Amino acid sequence: MSLDIDPRIRHRTRHIGRSVPRREDRGPLTGASRYVADIKIGGMLEAAFVRSVEAHARIVSIDTSQAEALDGVEAVFVAADLADVKSFPDYISYIGSVRQRPLASDRVRYVGAAYAAVVASDRYVAEDAAALVAAGTVYEPLAAVADLDQAMAPDAVRLFDHWDSNISVDVNPSRPEVDRAFAEADHTFAETYTSQRQTGLPMETRGVVADPSDGNLTVWTSTQSPHMVRTAVALMLGVPEPQVRVIHPTVGGGFGTKTHTYPEDVVVPWMARRLGRPVRWIEDRAENLVASAHAREQRHDVEVAYDDDGTIRAVRCTSILDMGSGEIFMPGTAPVFVTNACITGGYDFANMAARTVGVVTNKTPSGAYRGFGIPEGAFVMERIIDRVARLTGTDRVELRRRMLLRPGQTPYVMHGGGRLDSGSHRQSFEQALPDALAALARARARHAGDDDVRVGVGYCNYVEPTSPSYHLTTGHWGGHDSATVRVDPDGSVRVAAGLSAMGQGAETVAAQLAADALGVLPEQVTVVLGDTERAPYGLGSWGSRGAMMLAGGVLMASERLMDKARRIAAHLLEADDSDIVLTDGAFHVAGSPAPSVSWAEVGTTAWVRTVDLPEGVEAGLETSGFYHPENLKHHLDADGRINAAASWANGTHIAIVSVRVSTGEVSVEDYIVVHDCGTVINPALVDGQVHGGVVQGLAGALYEHFQYDPDTAQPKFSSFMDYLVPTCAETPPMTVGHRESPPPDQPLGVKGCGEGGTVGPPAAVAGAVSDALADWDIDLTACPVTPVAVRAAVRAAETAGRGPRGSR
Amino acid sequence: MKPAPFAYCRPDSVAEAVEVLASSESSRVLAGGQSLIPAMNFRLTDVSVLVDIRAIAGLDSVTVDADGVTVGAAATQSRVLADAGAARAVPGLRAALRHVGHLQIRNRGTVCGSLAHADPAAELPALAVATDARIRVTGPGGRREIAARDFFCGPFWTALEDGELVTEAWFPATRPDSVTVVDELARRAGDFAVAGLVAMIDASDGAVRTSRLVGFGVGGAPLRLGSAEAALAGWSAGRPTADIEQAAAADCADAFDDIHATSWYRREAVAALVLRAARTALAAKEQL
Amino acid sequence: MTSEALTEVAVGITVNGRLSRHRVPARLLLSDYIRDVAGLTGTHVGCEHGYCGSCTVIVDGDAVRSCLMLAAQADGAEIRTVEDLADSATGALSPMQQAFHDHHALQCGFCTAGFLMTLESVDPAEWRSPERTVELLSGNLCRCTGYQNITEAVAAAWSTNHEEGGTQHG
Ligand SMILES: Cc1cc2nc3c(=O)[nH]c(=O)nc-3n(C[C@H](O)[C@H](O)[C@H](O)COP(=O)(O)OP(=O)(O)OC[C@H]3O[C@@H](n4cnc5c(N)ncnc54)[C@H](O)[C@@H]3O)c2cc1C
Ligand code: FES
Ligand code: FES
Repeated sequence: MSLDIDPRIRHRTRHIGRSVPRREDRGPLTGASRYVADIKIGGMLEAAFVRSVEAHARIVSIDTSQAEALDGVEAVFVAADLADVKSFPDYISYIGSVRQRPLASDRVRYVGAAYAAVVASDRYVAEDAAALVAAGTVYEPLAAVADLDQAMAPDAVRLFDHWDSNISVDVNPSRPEVDRAFAEADHTFAETYTSQRQTGLPMETRGVVADPSDGNLTVWTSTQSPHMVRTAVALMLGVPEPQVRVIHPTVGGGFGTKTHTYPEDVVVPWMARRLGRPVRWIEDRAENLVASAHAREQRHDVEVAYDDDGTIRAVRCTSILDMGSGEIFMPGTAPVFVTNACITGGYDFANMAARTVGVVTNKTPSGAYRGFGIPEGAFVMERIIDRVARLTGTDRVELRRRMLLRPGQTPYVMHGGGRLDSGSHRQSFEQALPDALAALARARARHAGDDDVRVGVGYCNYVEPTSPSYHLTTGHWGGHDSATVRVDPDGSVRVAAGLSAMGQGAETVAAQLAADALGVLPEQVTVVLGDTERAPYGLGSWGSRGAMMLAGGVLMASERLMDKARRIAAHLLEADDSDIVLTDGAFHVAGSPAPSVSWAEVGTTAWVRTVDLPEGVEAGLETSGFYHPENLKHHLDADGRINAAASWANGTHIAIVSVRVSTGEVSVEDYIVVHDCGTVINPALVDGQVHGGVVQGLAGALYEHFQYDPDTAQPKFSSFMDYLVPTCAETPPMTVGHRESPPPDQPLGVKGCGEGGTVGPPAAVAGAVSDALADWDIDLTACPVTPVAVRAAVRAAETAGRGPRGSR
Repeated sequence: MKPAPFAYCRPDSVAEAVEVLASSESSRVLAGGQSLIPAMNFRLTDVSVLVDIRAIAGLDSVTVDADGVTVGAAATQSRVLADAGAARAVPGLRAALRHVGHLQIRNRGTVCGSLAHADPAAELPALAVATDARIRVTGPGGRREIAARDFFCGPFWTALEDGELVTEAWFPATRPDSVTVVDELARRAGDFAVAGLVAMIDASDGAVRTSRLVGFGVGGAPLRLGSAEAALAGWSAGRPTADIEQAAAADCADAFDDIHATSWYRREAVAALVLRAARTALAAKEQL
Repeated sequence: MTSEALTEVAVGITVNGRLSRHRVPARLLLSDYIRDVAGLTGTHVGCEHGYCGSCTVIVDGDAVRSCLMLAAQADGAEIRTVEDLADSATGALSPMQQAFHDHHALQCGFCTAGFLMTLESVDPAEWRSPERTVELLSGNLCRCTGYQNITEAVAAAWSTNHEEGGTQHG
């Protein structure tokens, strides 16, 4: 693999770009890792939350006496007990304020909302007590709002009495050039596209352990952003921030759901303080499905203006997000803005008018899920392109070729201001095509002679904003992250960073970066993540920012540390600073390897034998880097546009599917990815991110769907029997190719790669199934593409007289 | 998701088990626990006493003779799946069990437990009806034998009376010239069927002679597809299929709607499965 | 045991070769027994309704969901958990653990113990073909890896070549 290494460390790069084996593996392989549920502290109590069974209701009364009388129950708390706790802040001025309390007080707005908590000797007893509190709860049910249409109806019941509708946000920039294009174009069509409600669903649910001993508050929580949790907990409980320590132990996956600070993150520490004892709460799967953030439920009302030759002149798109009840911190509105910002993918197409709407309903609050709005937009764009190709008789591949950004077109500014700093938009597509066509031919051959099976191919060319602004999402935080690098007296290196690790291999990557920056081996680097006491303030891992922000922080800190180390070494070698180089972990004068000074000698001088320091050099060998990417913006410009991501990765996904017409079964036969995240630090880890992301994307394309009763807004799911997470039997063979287009302004040329995998599958699969069923003129507009959906489309086509001659 | 409190016992004999079952109203038999324990973890089932039957001597036996296969109440699905003799005598057993859950589930779950549980989407109850199996039970009133077609009354509802224990199920040997096909549409590997079919088909000279078709996942209980059986008689590959499809759909007129599929989808799916089974059976015959 | 119904039961359970006797609530799930009573937290709980497979352990030779078994039902049983796979003297990983490491077959690692115990329980000769391997692994969910590296790791560890002592990967 060719690698464009930042010139600052090119000469000593030995580990970046290699599949350095993961240091994280041994724990989980042997059972030695500690996840939050594995933490046990003497005297610890266990909590259970009591959750609303009503979608929308006033709580009239809660009788806790039976629960309190139960053997083993320490306490039962309801909202009134937490009166001294502040509400979750409403930081974003332009969305409806939800004034979220840590426990729902008089009103519940979704099934799963926590309104009471029980603390008992163990979880079994806590659940017994929670059942008694539930039985002792009197509700006054209110009419429930189950979907967008109900929510936006003029006479809709309002979720929040202090709002004048259920619309939280509605932003509609005017784009006169789009109106002109509509007037001039040969044709137009209108369509509605939808993507369904899903969730990140880490295999480890959430969990919080709080220990109030020694007057401090230590909180272990399965989060992607420990510092943010600390700030929120300190603020809401009124505890000085230095007295709160938040640690994420080993985290069993996050996928965005664990970026939020949840009520339990606040209530469990509060209860621990109140009772003076450690308290543990581990979310169970039934809770997880209704109490951790949902995502992706969007509707897109689209109009397209196009010409006879297939040229798409302009698109108007109103993207409406079903936010659920909106009671979540940080708020869940940002993904639909991202949908609109990224909708045009890797295409040279900026003539777009996008309106962004967020609406509240009586369902679980919507929030972050890997992909964060990008898959929804990619789906719309690719479906539009396929439709225009079909309407105008243009080849789908040729039309994409015509539209894709070519080499030399970057930096390219998208309709919403996103600045594609570099990329291989057209090249990735071209690279993927031959593999895809070969796979298509194989699939056709496999099913030749079976009239009932149709084969098709679908495409997606997307962009993935990486290291985005958190200001737009939270209204409060910005976009930096941090690393502290230290060399100890024995020459060992310690890196501590504000990033988190949820399985991506961030520790391995941090060690690779530090090793190369300091000319040591990764084995000599100790990495500390996810502990507010031991690592500098950072925002955590989300938004495909881990690698990029680590690279920024670690290299910045290392650079500073190297300067100092070089001065110390020069002094010890009685040479000039500028003559000192580092080879194989030893400092020496350029051109003469001996004499040399080791990192241990430099470290010892800095910390211990400080009497040997050169004059004017302070003791110590520890530096920090607080990295903020140069291009990352947090405020809209005068035109209402913004480049809200530090850099933009891109990729092409191609799905080959077979469809059994008689039953509607879809099988993904092959899946081809070409992926470009700039400089690849660890190819095995990037492949892993892509594989995992693709399968999550396929889950959205074909399987996972939170369904609610359209009248009552009651969830129609409660287990893995209804929320269909794919197994390996539903997973196609994947081929992953790489390209590297390093962004010119980023350290090392790294972009993020965490989310791209999830982006392509809905678009590619819907495109492929539509292609397979082209004889019926089927053009899918929604996911998941279930057997029922396929059969419904075939039946509708046949009723309308469309379909292949002589078919069933 | 922890179960509510209950008492547990592990009797050594059927008599003792029946005695405990009879002594308490919400007592339940615990066999493999692969359906009962999840329901208890969700606190969906009220249980005061669990009667674990796995220690009862002899209850885990699988006996094969010329007449058929007898599966004891404690015999796990894995054990039956691995029994080559059972598979020869009643090929449907292996064919059905391959669709049941995953290895780890089958390692605990029992064949008789699946029958007693009577999940409308389960394979084994349909197999029992298709093969004319008999379910032998012991209760406070003594022993009796119930024909499978009379055993399944509705979703999770059987002819078992309070306090009765299924001790074994007897599956008659399948005639060697009959082909058994167990086929289903499930969303994921190992899932319960969205729609499924057990077909026992006799064919000769490239045409179906008689068949016995039992659908699952399409009604409250295993559903005999009488009209489809009639329509299929005499059918051979290449002949029109519309009549058969219509008949199968008519048999499933009351198929239910749920989050996995609609009623009309289930009707169509069963029709497709019937044709698939017929083709498979004819092809199998040709191979002989 | 007699037919007396008890809310607390005495159990003697051997976990990873060590027999201990405890009185436990009748309703205690085996997964909680392993994690809280035996103190072996390598066995994870991802759903408590038998679907995800994270809690898979080996009971008397068979892979089972420990969340769908009562500790009471395990009285007298021999149980193996993930903690038993690596060589206790040298710490050396088992060939399957090593293959998972070499093929990047785990990310967050939450599901890993369940996969390893399922794999440990079976005879490779019976499950080696790609179709059978997929069938076997379909009883365990992984949300991180997309499964491809897991199936590759299994294929490598189980390749006949490997059994003859050949190395598969560097
Ligand atoms: C993830 C998962 C997937 C599954 N997939 C499938 C599938 O695809 N197809 C399928 O058919 N099943 C499936 N199952 C269910 C499984 O097959 C169960 O094992 C089976 O349904 C019940 O058998 P059991 O021995 O576990 O019974 P238990 O769970 O012990 O009991 C079930 C019910 O039957 C009663 N009962 C059990 N034995 C007797 C008896 N001898 N006499 C009287 N009453 C009795 C019990 O009291 C209880 O009410 C799945 C289960 C899980 C957890
Ligand atoms: S925790 Fe047991 S199968 Fe999920
Ligand atoms: S590695 Fe995270 S769930 Fe499998």
